[in-house]
Amino acid sequence: MLISDMFKLAVKALVDRKARSVLTILGIAIGSAVILALIASSSGLSAGVQSQVDRIGANTLIVRSAAGFYASGGQTSYQLSQDDVRILKSFQGVVDVIPFYSKGINIVSGSGTIQGSLQGVDPNQLFKLYKGLDLYEGVLPSLYDPAAAAIGYGIAFPPGSTAQLADVNQMLSVQISGVKGGMAFLVKGILAQYGSVLFSNIDDTIFISLQSAQILFKTPYYTGFYVITDTPDDVASVQQIIQTYYGANVRLIGASAILSSIQSITGQMTVFLGSIGAVSMFVAAVGITNTMFVSVMERTREIGVLKALGYRPRQIMSIFLSEAVVTGIIGGIVGTMLGYVLSFMIGGALPLSGRGPFGGGGGTAAKPVFTPELLMFSLLFPIVVSVLAGLYPAWRASRMNAVVALKYE
Amino acid sequence: MPRSAPAVQTVDVTKVYRVGHLDYPALKGINLKIDRGELTAIMGPSGSGKSTLLNIIGALDRPTSGRVLIDGVDLRKLGEDGLALLRNKSIGFVYQSFNLIQRLTAVENVEMPLIARSVPEQVRRSRSLKLMSAVGLKGKSRKRPNELSGGEQQRVAIARALVTEPALVIADEPTGNLDSKTTLEVLNYITQVNKAMGTTFVIVTHNPEVSERTHRVVTLRDGLIEKEQHLERIDAYTK
Repeated sequence: MLISDMFKLAVKALVDRKARSVLTILGIAIGSAVILALIASSSGLSAGVQSQVDRIGANTLIVRSAAGFYASGGQTSYQLSQDDVRILKSFQGVVDVIPFYSKGINIVSGSGTIQGSLQGVDPNQLFKLYKGLDLYEGVLPSLYDPAAAAIGYGIAFPPGSTAQLADVNQMLSVQISGVKGGMAFLVKGILAQYGSVLFSNIDDTIFISLQSAQILFKTPYYTGFYVITDTPDDVASVQQIIQTYYGANVRLIGASAILSSIQSITGQMTVFLGSIGAVSMFVAAVGITNTMFVSVMERTREIGVLKALGYRPRQIMSIFLSEAVVTGIIGGIVGTMLGYVLSFMIGGALPLSGRGPFGGGGGTAAKPVFTPELLMFSLLFPIVVSVLAGLYPAWRASRMNAVVALKYE
Repeated sequence: MPRSAPAVQTVDVTKVYRVGHLDYPALKGINLKIDRGELTAIMGPSGSGKSTLLNIIGALDRPTSGRVLIDGVDLRKLGEDGLALLRNKSIGFVYQSFNLIQRLTAVENVEMPLIARSVPEQVRRSRSLKLMSAVGLKGKSRKRPNELSGGEQQRVAIARALVTEPALVIADEPTGNLDSKTTLEVLNYITQVNKAMGTTFVIVTHNPEVSERTHRVVTLRDGLIEKEQHLERIDAYTK
């Protein structure tokens, strides 16, 4: 029997019972879609977090003043100063301490308001902190020019707008909470497109020098520090020491801590969605077996005819199995397409966005990751499941007694 | 295989059906020899074992004891696959209820035996269409069985039985569901094929109109051959 004939017969048989075939296919497609969406979005989430962590380095810890935040035990008034730089530097495993100022800002552009952040940090440290960050145009602000700024790519070229908002050597107006009438900066440089780091979008950030920020914010107290440890393994112990020393006076944001907490969320989600996927796949398999049993019963007489016409048991089994294969192929294709859409929906709902440690909006939705292996799996797995589910009914069909089958009403 | 071997030969064939603890003997020792090109009718009251004998001759069922030889081949020596191949190659079946596959078109039904042996589509399609026009179904090849009359459906079934050019055609009440005019048409076609191609026919029937047109009438009663009757026409086909 030619394989092409086998599949033609299978398709005709499936088309003959359209509604039933569609429901069976839907069952297996949903199973496959859930599994695909789950794997693609959770690996996308991991990859997204990983890349954010990679950018700032796994040995970086952000220590932020808790002043103004309600910490456990009440509002703290402890302020971070140059003394704390010395204290932090004395801790075992700390290599460097880089102070920063930051504040949330709003920038009115042609296409709406950009929620960004203003960050004062030593310009010489900027590219060391953010690996791979570079200038798109212009230069970094000098240390003592209070009005000079380097602006993120997304501020210069607001997304969704074709017009450039600010160019090098132009003034840019910014609304800052607590500063009446806002501020204007002279754009010295535009940073290249970079993306988010620890949920803060660098593209929506304005960088000024530490000294400028000090003058602008009229305070000697820093918003926080970048604490650089010797190795990523030191982060945990340094974090422990800082936590013990400062208690509720600071908030700590560690790249690796975020990574591990997100990975634990992803892990739980994987288990949860994975069991849904497995259960729906199992239900689909039972559905296929059931549908095929009904089909074998209904076609008992036809099986008798096939036997009389000289079809061998194995050929009859192949005819029924190829119906399962076709069900699986269509289920795989539909499921993969469904899963593709679904993974973006899951990705959008994941916590890879929110307000970052520097204020302002930021972060990006987790983009699902589709590897060729994953797509192959979601196409082929339904076929394997269908064939396994169809094996027993098909075998029963092939073993049927010809004389009895021909008499079946 | 010896050229002289009869088309069908049964030696002391018995068949016992077991239901629960009770045995029902359907055939009690049938000795029958049917020559090549012979047109044989099997008659007898219901329950006499006609259909059982037909299934055994058609290699669909195995006897409880005794031997069946088709073209000199002992069916006991064939396994499940061997019997299937034999049915596909050498035996055509025609049933009272036509037994066509409803979702397939007429020509696709005719092609079914050829699909089992991997005949390419163009070859089997042209052969099936030729046969369909021979049975007077030209232009109806794309119709589904439920769009055809009973007589037309039976002609599709006959075309399906003949498409492999079998040596033996087994027919179980082929005219049982047909009116007398259609019965005549089908009979004419059967005798025509029998004469032209030398195909052996074994037909179970209640209808004397049918048995009259055969060479030999075998009458069964209670699982035994009651009488055998050779008819005049036997000379007609030997020419």
